[in-house]
Amino acid sequence: MTWLVWRQHRIQFLVGAALLAAFAVLIVITGVQVANQYHAAQMACAASHACRNQGGLFLGSHAVGFLIISTLGAPALVGLFVGAPMVAAEAEAGTTQFAWMQSVTRKRWLTVKIGWMLLAAAIWGGAISALVTWWEGPNNALQLDAFDPGRFDIMGVVPVAYSLFAVALGIAAGALLRRVLPAIAVTLAGFIAVRALIILLLRPHYMNAVTVFYKVTSGFTPPGSYWSLASGVVGPNGQQLAQPNNINYIDGVPASYLPAACTQVSRGAFTPPPSCTQALSHFRAFLTYQPADRYWTFQGIETGIFLALAAILIAVTAVALLRRDA
Amino acid sequence: MIPMHEVPGNALPGPAAIETTGLTKRYGKVTALSGCTVSVPEGRICALIGPNGAGKTTLLRLLAGLSRPTAGQVTVNGTTPRQDPAFLADIGFLAQEIPLYRRLSAEDHIRVGAHLNPRWDAESVRERLTGLKIPLDRAVGKLSGGQRAQVALALILAKQPRLLLLDEPVAALDPLARRNFLGLLADAVAADGLTVVLSSHLVADLERVCDHLIMLASSRVQLCGDLEELLAEHRILIGPRKDTTAIERSHRVVQINRTPRQTTLLVRLNGPVADPAFEASDVSLEELVLGYMGQDAPSEPAQLTTVGEEQ
Repeated sequence: MTWLVWRQHRIQFLVGAALLAAFAVLIVITGVQVANQYHAAQMACAASHACRNQGGLFLGSHAVGFLIISTLGAPALVGLFVGAPMVAAEAEAGTTQFAWMQSVTRKRWLTVKIGWMLLAAAIWGGAISALVTWWEGPNNALQLDAFDPGRFDIMGVVPVAYSLFAVALGIAAGALLRRVLPAIAVTLAGFIAVRALIILLLRPHYMNAVTVFYKVTSGFTPPGSYWSLASGVVGPNGQQLAQPNNINYIDGVPASYLPAACTQVSRGAFTPPPSCTQALSHFRAFLTYQPADRYWTFQGIETGIFLALAAILIAVTAVALLRRDA
Repeated sequence: MIPMHEVPGNALPGPAAIETTGLTKRYGKVTALSGCTVSVPEGRICALIGPNGAGKTTLLRLLAGLSRPTAGQVTVNGTTPRQDPAFLADIGFLAQEIPLYRRLSAEDHIRVGAHLNPRWDAESVRERLTGLKIPLDRAVGKLSGGQRAQVALALILAKQPRLLLLDEPVAALDPLARRNFLGLLADAVAADGLTVVLSSHLVADLERVCDHLIMLASSRVQLCGDLEELLAEHRILIGPRKDTTAIERSHRVVQINRTPRQTTLLVRLNGPVADPAFEASDVSLEELVLGYMGQDAPSEPAQLTTVGEEQ
């Protein structure tokens, strides 16, 4: 069976390996440059004791940056070009009737094929993610936005889970529809829809967010690369204040809530009059966020969700092919 | 259920390679096969004949285990068709579409077969295709339709199945290739005790090699049995245009053709023809087939199941 899988899919495997190799060469070469840039910047800022303000430093080039962000779509590729045709192309060409009339059960045929496809998908997702994670190491240290979907989703272990999910989705769509083009369309739409829904609706709630209230006159920044979900100001009655764009704020509090004396403070460098300090002390700022140390927990939960979805899709495929007529 | 008398042209028929009872397959509301009860002894070459859409492919797929019956039983090589390497090793099924991997060469297919089958005669395929001047290393998608069919047929024989199910295998072959292939089949049957079921519209070809017949029409079995016996049981009666109720009472009339001057009947005999006004003549397979295709009467499975018992 394995020889048949290799013989049938070797072009896909070789194209995938060639793409990976090209990507790896590019990433390693530019990654070394990025690392050097980072070290130079660290040395320079250490000399002038200004290492806290490196957030604006940009490492790498725009072209490579674009390539890096485009790896968001890499998992979908295996779903579209490896997963979707796996059953559908054979059903379309009728070659399932060749394979299933050899002395091999459909179950074994399916198990071996799916096994190799999943392995290929995991290698694809894992290799790309490892390269991107390494390349982005210095930027992660500087930018502190590890939870940003454009970064969270292309690093760590989640790309492996996305790839496995995509290939399983493609296989299931192909097994149910038995035509390549509709299977590819359903895979693409399904992959984007599921990913978007999980990012928007589920991911912020993997763990209960932490909310911290603090004086509006003082600041609060959680340590490390935290994920800010909401922030704002709460008034004396405990209600959250609307924060439109076109009005003046003093320490985050709309000027209309404060005595006129406060307005002068914002303009000049005078010590705020006691009435203003008094008024401001009735307001509280808050920040709702996921702490930085939950990063790997979130990666793990997201991975678990997509692995579970992949498992369900494989089960659907098995039912479609083994229970139904060939 | 096995007829105990001598079957002409055969020694005692062995155990059944195929046995079905009331086999029915529905796809939604469409009934593809209904109440199919047939039996094919081992070592036969069985012709499967019927008009388009009669259920021939459905029957073959049920026998191969590629689809499951809606109702009824099917026994192939002594067991119910199932997903089991031992069962699959004994079945060779070649679908009408001649499924092969278009980008793979014949040699690739030979290697696939060698990996996937316990018995595999790779040399026979190479020998046969070389003899037919079919390149082993060219992608089969680039071969002609007839060459592809030859590759598929050689591959299915290399598997050395006990039961070979062929869905219109010779349709793509030229007359000479057809004759050669059918000869090869007959040799394989004689040498290895292989059983073959062969669906085709080419009645003349079938008549030459087959010794058993399953005739389907309108999703039902019309005839099943030893070919020579079936031919011997039928007569064409030609006589004057007159009342035929006497004949209809004593024989089963398959088809009646009335012209102003004469009446032609295809009957299944139930004893000798008593009416001297009618001249009886033997039927050919083609006449038999056309007669049963023309009629749309429901079959009588009880009568048709086993030839011989009713005599």
